[in-house]
Amino acid sequence: MTLTTSGLRKAFGGVVALDGADVEFVPGKVNALIGPNGSGKTTFFNCVTGMIKPDAGRITYGGKDLTGRAPHVVARAGVGRTFQLCRVFPRMTAVENVLAAVRPGGLVHGLRSAHRRAEIERAHGWLTRLGIEHLAGAEARNMSWGQQKLLELAGVLMAEPNTILLDEPAGGVNPALLDRIGTLVRDLNAEGRTFVIVEHNMDLVMSISDHIVVFDRGRPIAAGPPAEIRADERVLGAYLGV
Amino acid sequence: MPLGAGLVLVVAILVFPSLAPNPYILSSGVIVLNWAVLATAWNFVGGFTGYISLGHGALAGLGGYATGLLITKAGMPSFGALIVAAILIAALAVPIGFAALRVRGASFVIVSIALVLILLLVFQSWSSVTGGSRGLVVPRPFPGMLRPEHHRVFFFLYGGLLVLALLTWWLLDRSRFGMGLKAIREDEDKAESLGTPTFAYKLTVFVVSAAFTALAGGLYALWFGDLDPVFQFSVLTGSYIVLMALLGGVRNLFGPVLGAIVVGVALEYFKAEFGSSPLHLVTTGLLLALVVMFMPDGVIPSVTALVQRLRKREQSSIREVTAADLAEQRKRDREEANT
Repeated sequence: MTLTTSGLRKAFGGVVALDGADVEFVPGKVNALIGPNGSGKTTFFNCVTGMIKPDAGRITYGGKDLTGRAPHVVARAGVGRTFQLCRVFPRMTAVENVLAAVRPGGLVHGLRSAHRRAEIERAHGWLTRLGIEHLAGAEARNMSWGQQKLLELAGVLMAEPNTILLDEPAGGVNPALLDRIGTLVRDLNAEGRTFVIVEHNMDLVMSISDHIVVFDRGRPIAAGPPAEIRADERVLGAYLGV
Repeated sequence: MPLGAGLVLVVAILVFPSLAPNPYILSSGVIVLNWAVLATAWNFVGGFTGYISLGHGALAGLGGYATGLLITKAGMPSFGALIVAAILIAALAVPIGFAALRVRGASFVIVSIALVLILLLVFQSWSSVTGGSRGLVVPRPFPGMLRPEHHRVFFFLYGGLLVLALLTWWLLDRSRFGMGLKAIREDEDKAESLGTPTFAYKLTVFVVSAAFTALAGGLYALWFGDLDPVFQFSVLTGSYIVLMALLGGVRNLFGPVLGAIVVGVALEYFKAEFGSSPLHLVTTGLLLALVVMFMPDGVIPSVTALVQRLRKREQSSIREVTAADLAEQRKRDREEANT
């Protein structure tokens, strides 16, 4: 399942956030999307996940056209995402937060209990995997920032996406948790999930990604494995203004 | 807990008519039950999705007029007209919801108020059909029946409708569909990104809510027998419904019912005491202000929290902690320190 965009363009008034972005992510790998602030990374994420409609261009996933489709359609196609400012359901418990990601197929299915045993077990399974099982009964709003980030990821995983977009997973996270998130992404990737990560923490990006796409002024200026990107002069220029 | 409270409610509905000292009190009981159904019906939208509609009074008004017109103009039997009217209003709720549910927060509130005001103008001006400001007389379903008996029958009809509405709310509350709706209340964009078709969910629950609201409005038309646009399409009706639901607690199955009993009884009492002076409006406004300031989640959650706190205090003084508990606690603390 390859996620690709071609000629993606989005302007907010006079500000061109995306300027004809052609991107192809490598399926089954950990992809990273880096670039200076305002280079269009989050706008790119929001276009791909249907949160905003692009002005022009195409988005395809596994050959399926997802351009301008509603976010729930993109999610159901198998693309999950987290948010830059981590978003959970504040007044639901941790386990309910995860259960909310279960998508009923039809009317009968939708009227069934949301608290069926198999699903509760699966939800607890994800909470355990992310190390927040002891908070299962706690309301999300009472959890710490780091715990909420893990909870958000647990919800996304519950929906069983093939491709997961993480918007700044390391933002505001302490070094111990950062390590854990890095390991988690690698492990989840080893199980077959594709990742696309927007991140400013270069240590994390260089250590976990297989393929890096560098954005500058709304379009990719370089793409390749970490070693190649680290040596790329255009990248250094974009980042350091050299 | 819901079963116990539900049983208490059913028993209360069954015995109230025999305990009511006079037909006037019984008719007040019918009015309070009407409020209880309206507030519960409102809570399908307000409680689950968090969309605050001030326009539900209009949906009740539409239900009433549709029932009345189907009887007078189409010659339908009373209760057949009631059912058909509810179906019609549910169908009408699709385009209304389609337009109104596109906007969130304060904009939705304003759109819902606009619905009431527009319908008020329509029903006042279109007098050839609706009777305009002269009102619409709806024939009684049981022509020979005496007043007290009439009240008693309608009290039970409303009781049955209330139980049906509560049962439906309870079913949705525990369902996956309900989980999706509550996710919308918490964070709509987030719910959407997890794969919940939020618009379809909102629209569906709005239609269900409109159907129950229209049934309550239709029953009112059959019971009261006289409809006036000024009262049927009044912003006050919607405001009272919201006040009742908020007062009782919108996250709770019985919250709106409790709110309807408190506010409904207070309204009837004030009307009896002060006549039609605006004093009852002042007191109601005061009540709303107090609730919003001191019990933003409503009476039921506030009282539950208070009871829990008192209980915990009792427990903490005599609680025994085993070595295993302590070890578990330490492990958790350590884990938390790590995150």
